[in-house]
Amino acid sequence: MVSVDSAASGTQTNEGSSVTSRYNELVRVADEEFKYWLNPLQPRIDVANDTSSLANGSDRIEQILKQAVAESGATIGIGHVHGYGIQSVHPTVSITWPNGTRILYGPVTPERCSDLIQEAQDGPNSHLQDLVIGQISGESGEIASIRDHPFFSCEPDERRLLANLGITDPDSLNHAIATGSYKATARIIGRRMPEGRVRDSLIAAGLTGRGGASFPTGVKWNFLAGAQGNDHYVVCNADEGDPGAWVNRVVMEGEPHSLIEGMLIAGLATGSRTGFIYLRDEYPLAIDRMERAIQNAINNQLLGKNILGSDLEFNLRVIRGAGAYVCGEETGLLSSIQDSRGMPRVKPPFPAQVGVFNLPSNVNNVETYATVPMILRHTSDWYKELGTESMSGTRVFSFSGDIAQVGFMELPFGTPLAKILDSCGGIHTPNGEHGKLYAIQSGGPLGSLLPSHSIDQLILENASFAPWDAIMGAGGIVFIGEGTHILVLNELFSEFVEEESCGRCTTCHGGNQRQTEIVRRIISGRGRRDDAPNLKLVDDLLQHSNCVHGQFSPKTMRNTLQHFRTDYEDAIAGYDPTLTLSGMYELEIVDQTDPLLNEAATICPKGQFEGEAGAWSINMSGCVRCGACIDIAPNAIQKKALARSPRVIPIA
Amino acid sequence: MPLETESTLRIRSIIKDFKPNNGDLLAALYAVQHEMGYLSKEALAVIADQFKMFTAEVYGMASFYEEYRFDPPAKTTIRWCSGPACRTRNSAGIRDAILATLDLNETGEQTEDGQCSVVVGQCNGTCELAPMIWVEEHKTYELPVGKLTAAKSIKLARGLRSGSGIGEILNG
Repeated sequence: MVSVDSAASGTQTNEGSSVTSRYNELVRVADEEFKYWLNPLQPRIDVANDTSSLANGSDRIEQILKQAVAESGATIGIGHVHGYGIQSVHPTVSITWPNGTRILYGPVTPERCSDLIQEAQDGPNSHLQDLVIGQISGESGEIASIRDHPFFSCEPDERRLLANLGITDPDSLNHAIATGSYKATARIIGRRMPEGRVRDSLIAAGLTGRGGASFPTGVKWNFLAGAQGNDHYVVCNADEGDPGAWVNRVVMEGEPHSLIEGMLIAGLATGSRTGFIYLRDEYPLAIDRMERAIQNAINNQLLGKNILGSDLEFNLRVIRGAGAYVCGEETGLLSSIQDSRGMPRVKPPFPAQVGVFNLPSNVNNVETYATVPMILRHTSDWYKELGTESMSGTRVFSFSGDIAQVGFMELPFGTPLAKILDSCGGIHTPNGEHGKLYAIQSGGPLGSLLPSHSIDQLILENASFAPWDAIMGAGGIVFIGEGTHILVLNELFSEFVEEESCGRCTTCHGGNQRQTEIVRRIISGRGRRDDAPNLKLVDDLLQHSNCVHGQFSPKTMRNTLQHFRTDYEDAIAGYDPTLTLSGMYELEIVDQTDPLLNEAATICPKGQFEGEAGAWSINMSGCVRCGACIDIAPNAIQKKALARSPRVIPIA
Repeated sequence: MPLETESTLRIRSIIKDFKPNNGDLLAALYAVQHEMGYLSKEALAVIADQFKMFTAEVYGMASFYEEYRFDPPAKTTIRWCSGPACRTRNSAGIRDAILATLDLNETGEQTEDGQCSVVVGQCNGTCELAPMIWVEEHKTYELPVGKLTAAKSIKLARGLRSGSGIGEILNG
């Protein structure tokens, strides 16, 4: 087994210094390049190129900028960075001037590209005042620092894991090394730090698993280090399947080398020579970027054989998932790597005894690994400065739903949720008007639905969610405004857990089918008195499933019965004030003179408009309630609640 | 082992570097589907041969995963986002509107002429665009179309059904 301990006992005394000098050489080259990145010789425009920026058209912006620069002959460089965090203003670009001033602008449209080039040539704040988001570095006086932007008001003064996001080019190994990557590795190998010390410092730092279960990472690594045999594996769970969570994506697209280094250190600290990153298929850009970063690291002796010239070896591979949520469960993930169906199995044996290819393995979340180098680079005490007693440090959270500003933040544990909602700009309706909070969704489909009044008592810590029979989960939090019925979300999550059940336990695949049927029936306006007791029965039954997928799948429905009982009871009685449950409203034409009605009649995908101009009627029996006609003629067509259903028969 | 034909040779060359019991099967299936568009019976047999497995085992494995197809894909695939941020903004209505426009009964089906299909997509965290879909044409591109309404999605689906390119529909 190759480990840090064996390196200490078995090699010549000068190996440590050769590792250090090899690393110092990498740093020297990296610093030289990075110096000109921070203070370029000519102004440089960096286009954000993460998944969200690309979805918002940043590739087109880049194309236009490149063409304009080439045509005008302007001396402007074009580069790449990751987005900074506020996704609602994507696509963003930042301009860096030779004096080191860097300013972030967005949202950039194709029409504003020429202004952008002018701004780069003439200096900050001359042509694009309306697009300025904030200043990332340097001093120019008038423009406020990005750190003072309201969206980041809950973040600590300095970011930790995302410290280089929006500043470095994520594809550049030199940028990563110049900002501290692989320093901890060089120190561990160069000083031949005993492997146990690495794990002890993680325990001292209080680092817990970021996948949701919050198990102490150092302790988990101790299990693997103490496992039998010489061949161990470290596995990274990057199958971030919770809808509404994209924390791992940000880390992998923005800081790929922090994940690589974290896994490398895990390998050194647990006697493993092989690592797998199981990455979901929905993140093609993250797959690309991780594979490129791994190749770069191999080319520079940071991965593969003879790391930094020592006799240590660590190989890392990306495994591309194929769209199975249940592979996010660790035993499902392990069997998926082994050429088979990704079905979870009963634990024990735990992966630390029987994992990939039946050998001892350790599975951690992306962010867990990525946090490790930072703790070793600083100290455990430094890491514990932020966070709470039970959960130390920071983690990345993603916020979406009916909020003004969608995006991600790196927040210390213990941040109050109400403050976060404020920094996201509060609840906004689709029309951009202010609205009221209705529900909070945390932890994905196996997570929770929390009522609006819980927000004042919630802080980002597991213990704070527990009294609501809720979990904080893996970093995705969705704020839902009034205007959506809770059963709409229940339908979504019930469908999801039913579809994604692996099918091994009858409790899980049968129970979830039953649950989805009941929810759909209530939505269609045929709720029954005995639905609640039946849902409770399904819930009890699902607790006997083998894995957490089955056990946690009725959780959102249970939360609805606990926290949204009135809305549920109303829906059973056929009454829905939000008019979003398809079986509880019909469409009514309130203004026959509206000229838009003719277009509304042609948009109907089912052709259910009857009559002619001035005398339209809608045949509700064929209507699929897609709402397209209301999109076209909102003033002429309205939803009207149906009278309460006579089919509801109370239980005697 | 299947008889060697031009297409089996092609599949064989796609997967020649993959080894059994090495965690390569997912990657092999992906590579073949990416090149050929879908996993035919023939492809499954060739892959099984390479991995020293039964064809049924390979099919059993592949069919577990959402992303693998066993029939040729439609010319254009509409991947409808099923996430919560989209759902609070009438994405269910958008799905039903697209299905109704294309005369499909449920997601996963394709139109009879093979022009369009609708599949369920998973949230990838671009929720500022909610509600959204991705329009995919095999091997050419995957285009996110965001901030949709039911009416816009019907226009889009009608355009795709009549054979227009997505670029034309969005700009026209």
